[in-house]
Parts: sequence; structure tokens; C-alpha cells
Amino acid sequence: MTTKAEFLGGIREQMKRTLGRFAASSARRPEHPAAEAETIRRELAERWPETLDAFRREFESVGGVFHKVASVDAVPAVVSRIAREHDASELVAWHSAALGADLGPALAARGLDVHQMPDAEPIGVAERERLRAIAARADLGLTGVDLAIAETGTLVLVSGAGRPRSTSLLPPCHIAVFDRTALVESLRQVGVVLEAWHGDGAPPAAGAVINFITGPSRTADIELTLTRGVHGPREVHAIFVEQGIGG
Amino acid sequence: MSGGELATPFRQRAGGALKDAFLQEALTIATTKFIGLRQEAFEGFPEGEALRDQARAIKEATLQQLDRHLETLIGNVERLGGHVHYAATPAEARAIVVDIARRTGARMAVKSKSMATEEIHLNEALEAAGITPVETDLGEYIIQLAHERPSHIIAPAIHKTKGQVAELFSRELKRPAEADPEALTRIARGELREKFLQADLGITGANFAVADTGTIVLVTNEGNGRMVTSLPRVHVTVMGVEKVVPSLTDLMVFLAILAKSATGQKLSVYTSLIQGPRRAGELEGPEEFHLVLLDGGRIAQIGGPLREALSCLRCGACLNVCPVYRQIGGHAYGYTYPGPIGILLTAMLEGAPAVKDLAHASTLCGACADACPVRIDIPRMLIDLRREVDEKRIAPWTERVAFKLLARLLQHPRLYRFAARAGRVLQRPFASDGRISRLPLFFGEWTRTRDLPPVAPRTFQERWASDKDLRT
Repeated sequence: MTTKAEFLGGIREQMKRTLGRFAASSARRPEHPAAEAETIRRELAERWPETLDAFRREFESVGGVFHKVASVDAVPAVVSRIAREHDASELVAWHSAALGADLGPALAARGLDVHQMPDAEPIGVAERERLRAIAARADLGLTGVDLAIAETGTLVLVSGAGRPRSTSLLPPCHIAVFDRTALVESLRQVGVVLEAWHGDGAPPAAGAVINFITGPSRTADIELTLTRGVHGPREVHAIFVEQGIGG
Repeated sequence: MSGGELATPFRQRAGGALKDAFLQEALTIATTKFIGLRQEAFEGFPEGEALRDQARAIKEATLQQLDRHLETLIGNVERLGGHVHYAATPAEARAIVVDIARRTGARMAVKSKSMATEEIHLNEALEAAGITPVETDLGEYIIQLAHERPSHIIAPAIHKTKGQVAELFSRELKRPAEADPEALTRIARGELREKFLQADLGITGANFAVADTGTIVLVTNEGNGRMVTSLPRVHVTVMGVEKVVPSLTDLMVFLAILAKSATGQKLSVYTSLIQGPRRAGELEGPEEFHLVLLDGGRIAQIGGPLREALSCLRCGACLNVCPVYRQIGGHAYGYTYPGPIGILLTAMLEGAPAVKDLAHASTLCGACADACPVRIDIPRMLIDLRREVDEKRIAPWTERVAFKLLARLLQHPRLYRFAARAGRVLQRPFASDGRISRLPLFFGEWTRTRDLPPVAPRTFQERWASDKDLRT
């Protein structure tokens, strides 16, 4: 078997044979990403309505369904309306701490069968299997959003305790709740935020995966016919909370 | 298939493709659609051109310090609890993955679309070891059921009709399937959902790997990449060494142009940044993560003539615009990677003899270089390859002699003028209606599929010489 030393040694041998095709450098990383991310956030605080409009346009153009509510109290009504449209009752949700609000009781009061995911490591394999089975059979998955990218209509979700990866993946319908604090304008800004999460800033959660979700799951592998929901959700809803989720 | 001659020569494979009426139509529709989508995406994106330049520079800069970036990547993957393996050859890569599968007691492996695992023929090796590999990208699933190979980098089953897929599903899955993409997709969803939940092992490639953070980046539209990396106990990534990028900032430059070049989307539906195995508190994610770094001929090109091909993002844009690919499709190329970039990658991975015919399967029109998001100069390297197969005497002797004579002729004006005069006489039996449609002997190869213009009654040189007095 090839060892690390042999492998890298071979690469170094080759590198000696050339200086490269032209003088080149990689992208300039932000020096203080957390501070730059903070600046972006501050600037956006003033022009968030335009950013939200742009997000909505792009999100709808990739097949997302956009909703706007005044306060977080109005979210359960939207969720239950979506559930009724699908004749669905079983909902799996991120933990309330990860969502930023405890919607469980209000959703249950509207007749939904709500499964809130735990925010601590589940005990043992059996519990893990049980929770995964719930996600696999649920009709609706309710999550928060860490970034909403206006340029591309993308929702960014960081995995972690209380934020299972499967909530936005296994149910046929994904509902994401967000507010203006998640909005960013561009992929370039996302780069700064990602550098901050990785570097001198704090990531929203400590999981191993950051998922960018741009509309419902799709394929065009049979005769280039666009088909939704091949493996992931057929529908993605984004509910924007005007007054903020926390307040 | 690796290294050796294919059973049928390229000409025969291409000829078969040209006679396949459905394939011809499917290719035209697919490639034309992709071209349009790509153009639209970049038209609405004025910063695209600058980002393409930047992406190219990042790839070159990364290669210039590849050892350092790989070391950083390895260090970070291991720090996060992952394991890194080193595969000099496809055989070694296969052995590593099979060994991981055996050790972890895996019986079934779900795979998201990966050209690297196609390249090393991993599925055959898994099957031989008693592990069932399941392709989960819909297109790959279809061709796996049909025991075929992908015909396009990003649309592996474009050569199949919905009718053929329906027939295939009813035969292989033993259930009725109607010839409707929506219904067929639903069937595949059901079948594959079971597999995702059962499989012990998830196998992926990588679109990028971020050295700075030890992050593997997977881009899919279907969500199968997320399934494969979230549900099984073990995740293995097989990745060519050239896929590493230094930082998250660099990554964003590539993400901004990759999907636009491939399918015309601003971003693909799912981009997953995966940093090692499951963390404390997480419900899903693998307990074990393995990264297999693959050489397979790449490393020898860092200082070699095909270096620039190491920048390829596998977007497929050059296939769609290539007048040769558009006619013959992916299978006729005969190797894992089709199209203009595929010829270069085949030479890189299989050696120059493998492309002695393929090196000529290009008009050198340059459309590929224009379409390439990182501006790889594919035509230049194709010309170099042609020279190499000639110089290494891989090309047939007739071809080598013909080109040698031609080179002589073009270098000596007197000889050239003489040849023009001689040609005018010798062509008489073959020229009619102002063209030569048939030449004798092996010259006939040239006129088999195209006409040759005859030598003019008065050549330009002759006119230039005799009209000298008229020019003042």
C-alpha cells in the first residue's frame, strides 16, 4: 500500500519539474472574517426589504413556495394550511431551541402529530433508529434557516444537536422558518460568513454538515423532463417572520 | 478496459452511434438545451467572466503548492476523526474501499454519482467481494440496471428513452412501469429510499475538498448525495488529488460558476459541506469517515503536458458544444470520460496509446475552450497529444509517413510549388465537379467522409508571381 510519505513525495518530485503555467494566487481570504461578517449584517439591517424581495424572486424561480407572516405566532396557521393541502398530519421538527421558538403546542392544537427532535445526543442505537424511522415516515419537516441567500434563492442549514440533517431531507415537504437575521445578498458574502464560522466567529451549531438547499429536489435524467422530489422533498416552503422569530 | 485496446475500434463505435437515429435526436436535444441554459445563466451574470479567470487562477495556484494543500487537508480530516488513504493506482483504490467495506461488515453500499469511482471501476470490485453497490443518482441507477456506462458526465442516461426506462424498470424491478418520467421517478424514489435506509456504506466522490477546513463538498440536484452521507454508518469519499481548493473563500468562486456551466442553474439544488464524521449531539451522519486520495496518473501530469486538464471541474460544458460529441455521444469514446476533456483525461489516466484515434476526434474548433468555466486550453493539448502519438510511433505508419512528407513539403517552397504542379496533373482522374471525392490507396481514408478541394488551375503563388507587374 502506498504511504502518505510516498504519495506526497511523488507529488513533490513532479512539482520540481515545473514552476507552473503562470503566476497565480488563490482568492484573498478576509483577514478578520467575523468583523467583516458583522459589517455585512449591519449594512443589510438597513436594506433587508430589497434583499428579501430578491430572495423571494429567486426562491420562487427555483420552485420554492414563499410565505410571509407578521409574527412567529402566525407560523402554525401556515404550517397547518400546508398540511391540510397535502392531507398530511405527521410533522417532524427541529428542537425548539434550534428553531428559536416553541411551536409544538400550537401545531399540536391544530391537529398535527408533532415529533420534536431532541437537542442532546440520543441514547443508544435503538433510540437513534426510532427517531430516524419517524423522520422517514413524516409528511412534513420543519426547520430553521441559518442563511437565506438572495442571489440564488438558497437556504443554508447547519446540522447539529436538535437540528437533524434528515428533517430537511426525508419528508416529502420541507418547511423552513426564517427572519431577516438570516438574509445575505450574495455568494461572496456567504464566503465571508463561512470563513467567520470556521475562524474567529461562532457557527450557529456544532454539527459536521452545512447544507445549501436551492429549491426542491429535482432531476432531469429521463429525457430531460424536469421532475421534482426524486430523493429529497418535492416541495420547499420558506416562511418569513417579519418581526423576527425570537421576538 | 483499463490500459488495453477496446474490443471495437473508435471508428466502428462512432459509426454505430451515427446510425442510431434515437441517439442522434437525443444528443441534439440534450446538448442544445444545455448550451442554451448555460448561455442564459452567464448572460444574467456579468461578474461571471471575472470569476472564471479567478477560478482558473485558483486552480493553477493550488497546483503550484499541491503538496502543502494536501497536507493541510489530510491534517484537518484526521483532526476531525476521519481516516485518509493513498491510492497510487485504481487497483489500490479499489482494494482500499473493498477493505473498508469488509472490515465494517457492509453488505450493501449506496453511491452518489461519482466519476472517480466510475474511473476505477469500483462497482465490479465491490460485487466481486460480495458487496452490492447501488447507484442512486437516477441516471446512474438506470444505466446500472441496464449494465451500461454513463454517456454524459452530468446526464448519464441521455441515450435512453422513457419507453426504454419503463421496459427496464418492469423487467429488473419486476413491477409495472408506465413510460412517464414522473411515474418512473416515483418508482426509483421508492426503491432507492429503502436502500438508503438499509445500506451500511455510503460512497461518494467529491466536487471539491477544502484544505483549510477538511471539508468535502458534494453537489447534487436529487439529494442522493445528502442521503448517502447522512444515513449509512460509514462514508467513503474517493477523490482525485486535484480536487483540493485552499479555502472556503476559494470554494465560493467555484460554486458561483459550476452549476451555471453544467445545467444553467445558479446553484445546484444541494451543495453539502461535510466536515468529517457525525459530531456529538447529531442524530445522523456516519460514525466513520474515510477519504481515499487517488493518483491514477494525475500526479505524473503536474509537471507534464496535460497539467492544465487537472483544473477540470467535470461540468460537462465542453461536451455539449463539441461538434464531435454532439454527433457520436459519450459511449463511442469508449472510456469513462467522454468529450474533448475526456480525451485528455483518458490520455492522463490510461496513457497516450489509448487515445491514438481519439486524439483526432476533434475539429480543433475551440468551442470547448470557450465553454470551459476555467478556460482549459483543450485544443492546444489535443494537438500536443497528436504530436505525442506520432512521435512515440503509436500512430499507424501510413499516417506518420503522410504527415512527415507533408511537413517536408510545407517547409520547402520549391518542393511545394513542384508538388502543386504535379498534383494538378495527378488529380485529373479523381477530380470532378470541382472536387475530389475519392482518392486511391490509403489516401482514400481522407476522402471517405469528406471531399478534398482540387489544386486550383492557377495557384495563388502563380498568380502572385505573374501579376507582379500589375501591382505598383
